[in-house]
Amino acid sequence: MEHQNTTFFLMICTAMVLFMTPGLAFFYGGLVRASSVVSMMMMSIGSLALITVLWVVFGYAISFGNAGSGSYLGIDGVFGIDLDKLLLQTELIGAKNGDGFPLSFAAFQGTFAIITVALISGAIADRAKFGAWLLFAAIWVTLVYAPIAGWVFNFTLEDGKIVDGGWLVYNVGLIDFAGGTVVEVASGASALALALVVGKRFGFTKGMYAPHNVPLVLIGTGILWFGWFGFNSGSELAADGVASIAFINTIAAPVGALLSWALFEKIRNGKPTSIGAASGVIAGLVAITPSCAALTPFWALVLGGVVGIACAAAIELKYVFGFDDSLDVVGIHGVAGIIGTLFIGLAGTDVGAFFGYGLDQLGKQAIGVLVIGGYAFIMSWLIGSLIQKTIGFRVTSTDEIAGVDLVQHGELAYDSSDPRWSWKG
Amino acid sequence: MDQGNTAFVLISAALVLLMTPGLAFFYGGLVKAKSVVSMMMLSFGSLGLIAVLWVLYGYAIAFANEGPSTFLGIDGWFGIDTSFLGLEAQVADAADPAGAFPTMAFVAFQAAFAIITVALISGAIADRAKFGAWMVFAGIWATLVYFPVANWVFNFTLEDGKVVDGGWIVYDLGVIDFAGGTAVHINAGAAGLALAIVLGKRFGFSKGITQPHNVPLTLLGVALLWFGWFGFNAGSELAADGIASIAFINTLAAPAAAMLGWIIIEKIKHGKATSIGAGSGAIAGLVAITPACAVLDPIWGMALGLVAGALCALAIDLKFSLGFDDSLDVVGIHLVGGIVGTLWVGLFGNGVGAFFGYGFDQLGAQALGAVAVLVYSFVISLVVGLIIEKTMGFRVKAEDEIAGIDTVVHGEEAYAFGSDKG
Repeated sequence: MEHQNTTFFLMICTAMVLFMTPGLAFFYGGLVRASSVVSMMMMSIGSLALITVLWVVFGYAISFGNAGSGSYLGIDGVFGIDLDKLLLQTELIGAKNGDGFPLSFAAFQGTFAIITVALISGAIADRAKFGAWLLFAAIWVTLVYAPIAGWVFNFTLEDGKIVDGGWLVYNVGLIDFAGGTVVEVASGASALALALVVGKRFGFTKGMYAPHNVPLVLIGTGILWFGWFGFNSGSELAADGVASIAFINTIAAPVGALLSWALFEKIRNGKPTSIGAASGVIAGLVAITPSCAALTPFWALVLGGVVGIACAAAIELKYVFGFDDSLDVVGIHGVAGIIGTLFIGLAGTDVGAFFGYGLDQLGKQAIGVLVIGGYAFIMSWLIGSLIQKTIGFRVTSTDEIAGVDLVQHGELAYDSSDPRWSWKG
Repeated sequence: MDQGNTAFVLISAALVLLMTPGLAFFYGGLVKAKSVVSMMMLSFGSLGLIAVLWVLYGYAIAFANEGPSTFLGIDGWFGIDTSFLGLEAQVADAADPAGAFPTMAFVAFQAAFAIITVALISGAIADRAKFGAWMVFAGIWATLVYFPVANWVFNFTLEDGKVVDGGWIVYDLGVIDFAGGTAVHINAGAAGLALAIVLGKRFGFSKGITQPHNVPLTLLGVALLWFGWFGFNAGSELAADGIASIAFINTLAAPAAAMLGWIIIEKIKHGKATSIGAGSGAIAGLVAITPACAVLDPIWGMALGLVAGALCALAIDLKFSLGFDDSLDVVGIHLVGGIVGTLWVGLFGNGVGAFFGYGFDQLGAQALGAVAVLVYSFVISLVVGLIIEKTMGFRVKAEDEIAGIDTVVHGEEAYAFGSDKG
C-alpha cells in the first residue's frame, strides 16, 4: 500500500471539511430569526446533498480534467472535461489497484465545492425559495465553481514547481493555497449578485433582527474552525512542515481577527459582542485560507488583525449601498478573501513586496481576485436573474413576514406554544 | 520526518482546540440565560488572547532549554529562548523537519493546552465578571503562571524512555503527569479558587441559586470536550503507538466510570440522577485520568473514574459550607479531580505504584508536584486578581449583575424568541 499515511491524513481532513457545512448551517442558522432557521439550515444541508451528487457524477471531471488523455474535451486549463473521470472512474481504478490517494483527493475537493456553494446562501436569508436555491446551486457549481476550481486547484508539481495546470495558477502564477479566490472571493462575489437579484428583505434596516440564538452561532463557529484545520492543512495533501505552518496560521490569523474585531467594536460601540468575536474568527479564517502556507505566524497575526477591522467596517457597507447581504457573505468572505489573497503579494515568504521581492506577485494576486470575482459575479447575476424571471427566487412578502420556515418546509424550529418554554432566565 | 506521526499530532491539536468552544458550551448551558453570552465570551476571549501570546512569546517561555546562547533565565524554572519569539526557529525547522514531526505541529498542539487551561478558570467567576478585567487577568496569568508551569511539567528530553533533562517538576522531582493533571487542572482549579475569593459571592448565593438554563447546550459541550480529550490524552504521547492506545482506552473508561460514580452519589443523596450530574461526572473522570492515562491498566483507570466521580460529586458542596462562590465548580471538579488523578499514579501506576509494591516514593513525588503547582498558581492568581480588583475592578455592579450581564457587558441577548413568534 503506497503512501498510506498521506492518504490517511487526507481522509481525516476530508471528514473535517465536510463537517464545516453543518457547522455553517448552525452559524447562519443562529443569526437569522427564529422563524427562518429551518430554511437557513436547509440551504446548507441541501447544498451538501446536491453538490455531492453532481461532484461525483461530473464536477470532478470538469475541475480536474487535463489535456493529454484521449478522453479530454475542451480548452486545457480553461474549460474542459475528462470523460474518463466521470463518476470518478479513473480514481476508482486506482483505488482498486491499492492506491486510495486520488479517490481521497476527489472526496477532499468535493467538500470544498459543497461549502463554497453553501456559503452563498447567507446573502439570501429569510426570503429564498428552497427549490429556486437548489436550481441555482446546481447551475452555479457547474458553470462557475467546477471551472474556476480547475483554474486554481488543478496543477502538476515537479520539484516544487508548477509545470502544468489551470491558467490562473500556471500561466498567471497566482498563489492561492487553500481557496481564497476559488472559495471565498467566488462565494462573496456571487452572494453580492444574488443579494442584488433577490432584493432587500421587507423592512431592511440596521438591526432589523437580532440573532435568535447566539449559542447556536458560536457552535457553528467552533465547528467551522475545527474543520478549517482540515481545509488549510489538508490542502498541502501531506502531513509535513508546510501543513504544520498552515495549521499554526489557522490558529494565529483567526485569533488576531477575533481580538481586532472585538477591539473595533469596543471603541466604536463601547461593547465587544460575541457575534463580533465569532465573525472575527470567520474573517481571519477566510483571510488565511489563500495565504496559510506563505506566511510566518507573525504575519498571520498581522493579517488577522487587519481583516478583523476591515471586515467589521465592511459589513456596514450594505446599509450604505442598500444591498441586503443578510449574513455578510460579501463583508466577510468577499472582503477577507480579497485581503488575504493580496496580502501574499506583500508579506508572503520569498515573494512579498515587504521583503524586497517587488510588486510582481501582488499584481498576479490582483489578477486572480479580479478574474474570479468578476467571473463569479457576472455568472451568478445571470443565473440568478434567469431563475427570478422564470420560477421566481423569492417567496411572497406575506410569506416572508409570516416566516419562511412554515411556508417552505412546513416546520417550526421551536415549539413556542409550550408555556413552559421560557428563555427569559 | 514521519507523515503518519505528523498527521497524528496535527489532528490531535485540532481536537484539543475544539475543546475550548466545547467548554464555552458546557459552561454556557450551566449559567442563566442572561449570562450565557458573557460566559461563552470568557472562553472565546481566552482563545483569542492566549493564542496570540503563545505565538509571540508563550512557546518561547514554556519550551526554552538551557544550552543555546539565545536562552535567558534559570534552566528548568523560568527562562525564555529568544530565538523562539514569533516562532522563528520553528518556522525554519518546518522547511526541513529534524524530528519525527515538525516542531511547529507540537507548537500548535501545546497552544491548545494553554488556551483551555486559561478558559477553565472562568467557570469560577460566572455571572459577575467584567470582560476587560478577565482579559487582563488571562494575559497576566498565562504569562506568569501557565507558561512557566508548562515548562516545569511538559518540557523534558527523553533518552531511552528516561527523562534526562527538563523542567524541575518532571525532571528533578520525577513527577509523572502525562497530559496535564498538574499543569492544566490543578493549575486552573487553584486559580479558580483564588478568583472566586477575589470576586466574592454572587448576589443571593445559596444552593440552587440558578438552574442551568440550557441542559442540551451543556451536554453538547460535554460531548465536544470528551471528543477533544482523546486528542488531549492520546495526543500527548506525540505518536500513535501502544502508549497512545492505552491513554485512549483510559480516556474512554475513566469518564464512563466517573459518570456512574457521580449519579450513584446523586441517587443516594437526592433520590434522582441528573443529566448535569452525568455530564459533570464525565468531566471529573476526564480530569482525573489526564495525568494518569498512560500508566494505568483500564481496570485501574475505571477505579480511578469511579472514585473521582464520587469524590467530586461530594466536593462540589464544599463551596456552600466554606462559602466561596466557585460558580461552575472549577475547584470541585478540576482541582479535586486533578489531585485525585495525580496522586492515583503513585498508588496504582504501572511500575511505580505503592499498591504493586514499589513503595511510596512516587506518591510523595506526585504530592509534592501537586502542592507546588497548587500553591504557586493560587498565590499568583490571588495577587493578580486583587490588583485588578483594586485598580480597574473585576466585578460588575450589583444592579448590572441582577439585571443580567450580557446586555450590560456585551450589548447582546442570547436568545430572541419573544420578539418573534416563529
